[in-house]
Amino acid sequence: MVKDLVTNPNVVLRKEFDDWAVLFDPDTGDAVGTNPIGVTVWNALDECDTLEDLATVVRASFEDVPDTVQDDIEAFVADLLAKGLVGKVVEERP
Amino acid sequence: MEGQDEFQPAVLPQEAPRVMRTPRGLDIALTARCNLRCSYCYFFDNEVVQYEDLPTEEWLRFFEECGRLGVMDLTLAGGEPFLREDLHELIQGIVENRMRFSLLSNGSQITAETASFLAATGRCSHVQVSVDGGDAEAHDAARGEGSFERAVEGIRTLQRADVNVAVRVTIHKHNVHRLEETTRFLLEDLGLPGFSTNSAGYLGSCQQHSSGLLLTVEERSEAMEALVRLERAYPNRISATAGPLAEARMWREMVDARAAGAPPIPGRGCLSGCGCHATKLAVRSDGRYIVCGLLQDDTLGRINEDALQDVWLESSTLATFRSRHRVPLRTFPECRTCEYVDYCTGNCPALALSLTGDAQRPSPDACLRRFLEQGGRIPETVVETAVRPDADRSRRTPS
Repeated sequence: MVKDLVTNPNVVLRKEFDDWAVLFDPDTGDAVGTNPIGVTVWNALDECDTLEDLATVVRASFEDVPDTVQDDIEAFVADLLAKGLVGKVVEERP
Repeated sequence: MEGQDEFQPAVLPQEAPRVMRTPRGLDIALTARCNLRCSYCYFFDNEVVQYEDLPTEEWLRFFEECGRLGVMDLTLAGGEPFLREDLHELIQGIVENRMRFSLLSNGSQITAETASFLAATGRCSHVQVSVDGGDAEAHDAARGEGSFERAVEGIRTLQRADVNVAVRVTIHKHNVHRLEETTRFLLEDLGLPGFSTNSAGYLGSCQQHSSGLLLTVEERSEAMEALVRLERAYPNRISATAGPLAEARMWREMVDARAAGAPPIPGRGCLSGCGCHATKLAVRSDGRYIVCGLLQDDTLGRINEDALQDVWLESSTLATFRSRHRVPLRTFPECRTCEYVDYCTGNCPALALSLTGDAQRPSPDACLRRFLEQGGRIPETVVETAVRPDADRSRRTPS
């Protein structure tokens, strides 16, 4: 699921309090709040190929990560996709 | 200016407010030039202000810094921002740095080309045009002959280009008796989704013309009654965060709370009337940071010399403003015996400064007890509506 996704380059990751942040899309004005795990996922998304890779990054960054983390990441990424904060890579036609 | 007692207000020993890393938005006076000289203008006739403009490069450099820090919105005002010959270039700088913007204008300088440009950016939340009446007589009285026609043409130009238009009506002596006509004109003739209202305040140029502009207690009562009536006729289309409509809502709530012997309203009873400094900062046309566009005297540094984040996090002036909500109104002699004190906020610090010489006091202009003692009337029922974001339906902020 993750390999063909790319973060929307116009979206701003705006850290506000501690490591909590807002993902702000200036083209729509939409802003989505996210916790520190979401921030980590966002920052790693373009470098990771699979959900498992993302889960590994999260496990390496936080203590007491729940077993369901990969499902949580999948839901989070799906939400980002639905909101246009990430998009699918489209290969150019030859 | 009213007298000020010598005393030091107490500050409640609460935890210091948490401050976000950077401001979400900035109010920027892009220029000190304006083709009008409205008699109630808050911007002009502030003695301490150097009315000068910065070159393009300075603003572009600053917009880069804003973008790096994740600032989301810039509100571009002046003066009249459409007088900047480099406006397209400046807005391009905002767009390239991943921000949105809105403009506050008198409407007179908006060309079809500029309106199309704004629409094409996809980042313009709205252009707010000041319209003070439904005809030239009501509008031009405080804004100058010919300004009504040009404002309306500006609005129509924006509408043709599909740019969101927000209209602000400033209520004063010359238009207070014509709010019905004004409302009909804006909502029916111009077909606007809504408009916002406030009233002329004792700031800037208005200080020289106050007797001919500021509402009397009777006129203020009349404005409240008219606006509440109109709000009922046009549900959710008239908004206010200050001025008679906002006062009608808040004062009705305070009167009802007192009559019911209600407990203190959460967040009230202290100088909690303004929270802008929690999320926003302002910049004067000469590049000086200020707390708010209405508080032009106290500068916090200069753009491109003082880092925005340093000013935001370390300014002692901002820290004072952020502690306002911990200053109990009861510590002020004029509030000590007031039966409404537990329901009051002290209101606008800028008006407090201009009327008392101290921004960190309650504003006498917003005193309910004084208003009632002087014969003021508050509408019996007030439509309770969420404050609409100035007829701008595309703009959303994080919850």
